Amino acid sequence: MVEVNGPKVYTYLFGNKALPITETMVNYWIVMVFILLLCLFLTSKMEKIPKAKQAVAEKIVMIVDGLVDQNMGKNCRQYSPFIVTLMFSSVFGSLASMFTLRSVTGDLNTTLGWALIVSGMIIYNKIKTNGFVGFLKGFTEPIWIMTPLNILSEVSTPVSMSFRHFGNIAGGLVISTLMLSALSALSSALNLPIPLFQLGIPGVTGLYFDLFSACIQAFIFSMLTMAYVGSAKE
Amino acid sequence: MGFQEFVNIGGWEVFVTLFNTLITFLIVKILLFKPVRKVLAARAEEVKAMYDEAEADRNEAEAMKKDYTESIANAKQKANEITQSATRRATVRSEEILAEANRQVQDMKKRAEQSIEQERKKAINEIKDEIASLSVMIASKVVEKDIKEDDHKRMIEDFIDKVG
Repeated sequence: MVEVNGPKVYTYLFGNKALPITETMVNYWIVMVFILLLCLFLTSKMEKIPKAKQAVAEKIVMIVDGLVDQNMGKNCRQYSPFIVTLMFSSVFGSLASMFTLRSVTGDLNTTLGWALIVSGMIIYNKIKTNGFVGFLKGFTEPIWIMTPLNILSEVSTPVSMSFRHFGNIAGGLVISTLMLSALSALSSALNLPIPLFQLGIPGVTGLYFDLFSACIQAFIFSMLTMAYVGSAKE
Repeated sequence: MGFQEFVNIGGWEVFVTLFNTLITFLIVKILLFKPVRKVLAARAEEVKAMYDEAEADRNEAEAMKKDYTESIANAKQKANEITQSATRRATVRSEEILAEANRQVQDMKKRAEQSIEQERKKAINEIKDEIASLSVMIASKVVEKDIKEDDHKRMIEDFIDKVG
């Protein structure tokens, strides 16, 4: 019998049932430690003439700065660290599945949290650019009758972003789990001495569902963030 | 140890995500962006300094080149002046020498003419004397007459003067 479960609940903070410590949180902390070590490693012993790892660090910063300049306009480089945060968290959070951890992004709470931050940034920038009245007035454009739709589109932004990311990673998780059990069933049905089918095929599909999907979703999420926040500044 | 629903939304879980994201943001900002930006800025600063220095050097070199060109032009002009004045002086001097030489030649010519004239006069006189004494001798031989030599001489000189 195959089961596709949500994240495990390890324990409850202060024994409070409303404050669970889930697998997602723990894995996120592991990913955070990894990011911390990665940053420390990349930026240790910086020199004027860069060595390999320093060049990687500089390249990351320069590429993201370039993307931010391109998608958000000039003078937006204060957003670059947040974009890198999203990219790192998303990529490494998704790739955690390669190391037998449950994907951090395979939990709607994670992607929804990020999407809410992005939504907050969009609203903040709209108010900052147009003023609060201008922001409210923006909902009645081009005509007042569009107001409900405009509000809906404002709400749908974080929803669509979070569900897209979560759906891709969780979908991959479901398919991988189902396929693994199907292959296992096939192996036992053919009375093979070793589970031959489970040996190579999940690796090939994992290439798409874990590696490719993780990278592309992180990229999409970051690009959408830049595009939305950038257009909110106009 | 239970499982959560596959799709679930909880305020606490979202809050923990926000908190984790904030921490990650701080890690990335402080440990990745700050040092890298610092290094990049330092490098940009250094490159700018190098460019400035090169620019300054270039300006200096240009100024020096201008100086040199000027001084070379000056030197050429000076050399020209020197040559010209030397030529002028040499011309003047050669003219002087020529004039001096001419003068000397004229003097010498004049003196030579004078001495020639004197010699001629002297010779004429001597010839006159010779002729006179010869005439007297011939006359005395021919005529055998006792005529005083002085009278003869006077007569012959008269004759010669008349003849020219």
